Amino acid sequence: MTHQPAPTGRDRAWYEIRLQGQLGTHWATRFDGMTLTALEDGTTVLHGPVADQAALHGLLRQLGDIGITLLSVHQHDPATSTTPATEQGD
Amino acid sequence: MLGTKLRLPVARPNLVPRRRLTDRLATALPRVVLVSAPAGFGKTTLLAQWLRDSDDPDRRVAWVSLDEADNDPARLLEHVVAALASVRDLPDASRLMADDADPPALAVLTSVVNDLDLHAGSTVLALDDYHVVESPEAQAVTAFLLEHAPPQLTLAIATRADPMLPLPRLRARGELLELRAADLRFTQDETSSFLDRVMGLELPPADVRALADRTEGWVAGLQLAGLSLQGVQDSTGFVHDFTGTNRFVLDYLVDEVLAHQPADVRRFLLDTSVLHELTGSLTDALTGRSDGGAVLEALDRGNLFVVPLDDQRTWYRYHHLFVEALRARLLSDHPDRVPLLHHAASVWYAARDRPLDAVRHAFAAAEPAHAAGLVEWALPDLRRERRDGLLRQWLTALPDDAVRDRALLATYRAWTRLVEGDLDGVDAWLADAESAYEAHPPVPAPQASAATREELRTLPATIAIFRASAAQARGDTDASKRHAHRALDLAGPDDHMARGGAAGFLGMAAWAEGDLGEAVTTFTTAVRSLAAAGDVADEFGGTVPLGSMWVARGRPDEARRLFERALAGAQDHPGAALATLGDLHVGLADVLVEQGHLDLAGEHLRAASALGDTASLLENRYRLTMTAARLHRAQGDLDAALRLLQHSADRYVPGFFPDIRPLAAQRARLHIARGLLDDAREWATTAGVDQQVAGGYLEEFNQLTYVRLLIAEQRADPDPGAAADRLGEAESRLTAIAAGAGAGGRGATVVEVHLLRSLLHDARGQHAAALGELARALDLGVPHGFVRLFLDEGEPLEQLLAAAERHPAAAAHARTLRHATYLPGAATADTGVADALSERELDVLRLLATTLTGPDIARELYVSVNTLRTHTKHIFTKLDVNTRRAAVERARELGHL
Repeated sequence: MTHQPAPTGRDRAWYEIRLQGQLGTHWATRFDGMTLTALEDGTTVLHGPVADQAALHGLLRQLGDIGITLLSVHQHDPATSTTPATEQGD
Repeated sequence: MLGTKLRLPVARPNLVPRRRLTDRLATALPRVVLVSAPAGFGKTTLLAQWLRDSDDPDRRVAWVSLDEADNDPARLLEHVVAALASVRDLPDASRLMADDADPPALAVLTSVVNDLDLHAGSTVLALDDYHVVESPEAQAVTAFLLEHAPPQLTLAIATRADPMLPLPRLRARGELLELRAADLRFTQDETSSFLDRVMGLELPPADVRALADRTEGWVAGLQLAGLSLQGVQDSTGFVHDFTGTNRFVLDYLVDEVLAHQPADVRRFLLDTSVLHELTGSLTDALTGRSDGGAVLEALDRGNLFVVPLDDQRTWYRYHHLFVEALRARLLSDHPDRVPLLHHAASVWYAARDRPLDAVRHAFAAAEPAHAAGLVEWALPDLRRERRDGLLRQWLTALPDDAVRDRALLATYRAWTRLVEGDLDGVDAWLADAESAYEAHPPVPAPQASAATREELRTLPATIAIFRASAAQARGDTDASKRHAHRALDLAGPDDHMARGGAAGFLGMAAWAEGDLGEAVTTFTTAVRSLAAAGDVADEFGGTVPLGSMWVARGRPDEARRLFERALAGAQDHPGAALATLGDLHVGLADVLVEQGHLDLAGEHLRAASALGDTASLLENRYRLTMTAARLHRAQGDLDAALRLLQHSADRYVPGFFPDIRPLAAQRARLHIARGLLDDAREWATTAGVDQQVAGGYLEEFNQLTYVRLLIAEQRADPDPGAAADRLGEAESRLTAIAAGAGAGGRGATVVEVHLLRSLLHDARGQHAAALGELARALDLGVPHGFVRLFLDEGEPLEQLLAAAERHPAAAAHARTLRHATYLPGAATADTGVADALSERELDVLRLLATTLTGPDIARELYVSVNTLRTHTKHIFTKLDVNTRRAAVERARELGHL
């Protein structure tokens, strides 16, 4: 699925959001367009394009709504990092 | 359903007593109680527990369960006031809310604050789920209460995100009691008590400890764990598995809980998770079962995350966290079922006349056609209730295709473009609306409401009015008139709203063109139609321009009658009148200045000033200081008048009303009166008034000012050589103006022309001609209330009036002007300073500066609370403020305290 705003919009950026606990893959539909990867260390990485800052805040709020603990939020260039599952920890 | 929003949540039996937390709240109430923690920490339960168990018999609790709709300041305010009014008598605020669907927020808030001050006992306003309030406008409602409410009010806020309130300042002052996640986490003892008493489990202490550790005292996790353990023999095995997994607690436990449910209950939970609220027949509509009510009761008994919303237990909702998990599961496992479930919910709500919920589910079902039909159905009532924000949101959310072939929706989509200033968009959507109307004219359903029938019947007229409005915004008066005439032709005799709108445009256009006869007639019809349509707010608002038209028509007396009647009527409609109440006072003050009643005018200006900007339309706000300038000029203080005019110029915003007394020209008139002819000449040159030979009505005030300048220059420099040029030019300009003014029924201009001709002849030394013109001006002007028009001319006119008194033709009117009590000099009131406070009011003021509550103060003074209220209102008016706090501050500034 894709986000509504133009994919080439200049506010669009890739984000990697790390969460405490392994989140089931069934949540992926809920966090539209993001890849959800549960890691061995008991954390989960949400990774994908976010249309703009407002969308990012909306996403963070949805995470808040399920009471999950937020560990980190990174913005990064998808060209340099295409495999979130092998990313270094914090 | 408002009731369930405004009630303390229903008490559950067997709650874990949390004395370590509730005791902290039991002592003196702080200004703000903030319970701030993520979802599932038991914020609501704790807050309700504390508030229910209070042993203070004088305390009242106003509770609001907030939801997304409360992110709109008007809704939030409505619910806050309703909650407070349900526990405390709030006469002023309730009157405002009852009278108008959308009263100005600031006015309501100040009334709430002032009303609350008159109650001695403490009032707690509990705002649950405050994190939904995100917009700055909505947050401002809470911030205002925090800033201005009397100390008897405590704000108790439960939220997942810290609110935008000045928390550091509150902390520093010891006015904030915070309970955060660390405080809310269940201790080992509380965990044990919870699992034992609430969940009915007897677990070995080691298991209890392990569960407390694994959930970190997160009560939602404990509850899910407890549910998963129901009927499980090997609790230690469950605890072992649970503590051994890295899975997100909510995920693991919801899966466990669902796995323990029979298949039909599991399906029930998933299917109904799309709902915000649950009741038996609604869930039946989604699940196809017939025992929804019984299932809900069973879930309630089994502690399965349903929260009862009423004592009868007919309405429930799921716990937030639980429903989030259910929805994620439903969306992932049965994506195809989601739209069908929303559709069923939408149909259920529509059948029960709950358009808001029906539309929300229709949008969620991704069924634009169905949603469009529902929006169309709800639109007339939303219009009547002035819920413009929601309506715009819906109309914008609908896809173009769903709007285009529905005439009503396309018309109002055009209206959303008008609000945005997208005039091309207006035209395009109105064209669509008209084709849709021709292709298939909308027919009201047999059970349609009166509002719907009228809306559909008058749709063609509405389209024409929107066209007129867009044309006006483009500055195309001819097109605006054409469309407004068409709207009048299309509207039936009883379509008051449409007739009022159309006549309003025509009246306004006639005014701008200087046809005051037509303007007054048409605009009077417009105001009457608005009154007949029950649109009280616009009826009052329309009186303001109508008064100005009557003055231009040459009838200040009639304008005064109108304003006085409107102000009297405003007493019966405090809410609806409020948006323009200040403007009505200013309008009346302006007429009173003209009539020479300067003290009375000053009182009305003070009343307007005390009401503040909320009681004035944006485009009218500059008039307050403009009229104050006129008043000061009449009192002889030209410097103050000049300062006030500058103030006005800073506040001037062009609007719908024609600018018939341009501020720059008013300033030039003051310069002339002050003898600063070079300044006035500079104005004439810069504005190009000296080069302008003819010009319509909108140029008239400038021209009449320029004529005064020419005459004044001739007086100041009586060079006979220049006289012919200057006075000749003045005369020819007056002749040009006179013709247009007569034809346009501009009585005020006609009087002014005669007056200036009189001064012109006088400057030439032609006394007989001067007196003749003056007699004509007096004859036409004085009986209808023109006074300052004459007296503002000062010395030269004063001599002419003295001479006129000896002339039989003009004697009576000249005497009226010269000897009435309102002559300059007789006017002593200094309107720049507030009325002196009486001794009694000073007593009250000193007590207002203390922390005493209203009833305490009343007792102190041996008066009733109502008497105190009257005193404080007088004090507020005199100090030009509207809250106790502001009164104390102002009084300190003025040295009263």
